[in-house]
Amino acid sequence: MNHEIEIKPAWAIPPFLIGEVQSKLAYVDENILAARLTADGETIGLRLRRPVEGPARQALEEKVQRVVQAMVQGAFKPKVQVLEDYSDRPVPYRGDPNAELLARREMFQEAAGILTVGPLVTRLIDFFERQFLALADSFGAAPYRFPTLIPARFLERVHYFRAFPHSLTFVTHLREDLDVIDDFAQHAACGEHGLDAPSESFAPIQTLLSPAVCYHLYFSLADRPLPGGSLAATAVGNCFRYESLNLTSLERMWNFTMREVIFVGPKDFVLQNRETGRQRMRAFFEQIGLAYHVESANDPFFIGEFKKQAAFQSAFQLKFEIRARLPFKDSTLAVGSYNYHQDFFGRALNITLPDGSPVHTGCIAFGLERMAYAFLAQYGLETADWPEIVRRAVA
Amino acid sequence: MENVELLESVRALLAEAFSLPKEQISPDLAFGGIQQWDSMGHMGVMLLLEERFGVPIDADLIAALTSVSAICEYLGKREGQS
Repeated sequence: MNHEIEIKPAWAIPPFLIGEVQSKLAYVDENILAARLTADGETIGLRLRRPVEGPARQALEEKVQRVVQAMVQGAFKPKVQVLEDYSDRPVPYRGDPNAELLARREMFQEAAGILTVGPLVTRLIDFFERQFLALADSFGAAPYRFPTLIPARFLERVHYFRAFPHSLTFVTHLREDLDVIDDFAQHAACGEHGLDAPSESFAPIQTLLSPAVCYHLYFSLADRPLPGGSLAATAVGNCFRYESLNLTSLERMWNFTMREVIFVGPKDFVLQNRETGRQRMRAFFEQIGLAYHVESANDPFFIGEFKKQAAFQSAFQLKFEIRARLPFKDSTLAVGSYNYHQDFFGRALNITLPDGSPVHTGCIAFGLERMAYAFLAQYGLETADWPEIVRRAVA
Repeated sequence: MENVELLESVRALLAEAFSLPKEQISPDLAFGGIQQWDSMGHMGVMLLLEERFGVPIDADLIAALTSVSAICEYLGKREGQS
């Protein structure tokens, strides 16, 4: 049985923060099963696993109010800039693709946020991959392969723990101790709350699952001058961002795949290539008839950092998202982004230009599963209804 | 407020935001000029400007007030208008 409570935010939540606050409520307490904010921002509804009364309820409400206060008080309204708007491009499908994806075994959920996809979706993803690779080739981007694991000390160096602690995924292994390993082999079993094994069996965490692709490139360039003064590179990789209750279908996965085209060099080199990449992708999106728009955005920083970092990204127009229409839910989904990090990584990792100044970096990133999902949400699973360029490539 | 007085106030504000002695805030200092004036440091400056000078910070100002001289010029103009 679920238990519902309502909380009135102590600070008025402006419309531009409703989605951000709602998504962060997932991290307030393990007892929360679902969180929803009314459109006017005046009521927070929580569905709970267990009822809460008295001091426990008060403590829960205090945590909710802490989130609201941290994100709302003194928040700067973002400056939304729309660079392209093709969201009214006619598309033939308005249905919810999820039921059909599941019925056809084109999508299978192993656990929350962990999904496999079938042959049709895989071929569709491969088609998009070829287009993104062509974009990378148009910049002469050098190909790289990066690991799925990333050392904790790397992420610490770029302040990732402070900015996105809620979405980290940690990696460990059994301690090198014969008794521990024997005990695990004999007794380990999956219970209601996961793998049942003593926490002291596990080694200290030194490694995480990588949350982004481009970080690996920056770390490989750290603490030395950038050879040649500029670099274009590309790689595809698994990325991991734990999103708690917000994990949804192919829209928001814990483990997803990103193709990135990465630029490192002087400011103009990075900004010019980011802009050229956007122009080239516009032509491709027109070819496949995608309904979308490109607008300024911010990364999902955690509560303490959100206000300042999001305002900074917005003010300097550092991030633009490609938001594809999802007709069945009358909303949009970010399928890619054009990013500029200024000299943040150059400074944090001591990567320098020939004149000794820190490099600037940027990347164009595409979420492959999301790209396929958005296309299917607009064109359905019947290939006969797809634009010819996609149908021919996937057939 | 005289120009020199204004400059000293701005230097003091930045010194407070970055937890540095005022002597380290030179009149030609700009965003990125010292380690402390990064994105988070910049937003700290903006919040202090709002608090101490009543500046209604918005996205345009965040992007524009990226040096000691730009902050002084903005505050000087604002004072002239009041």
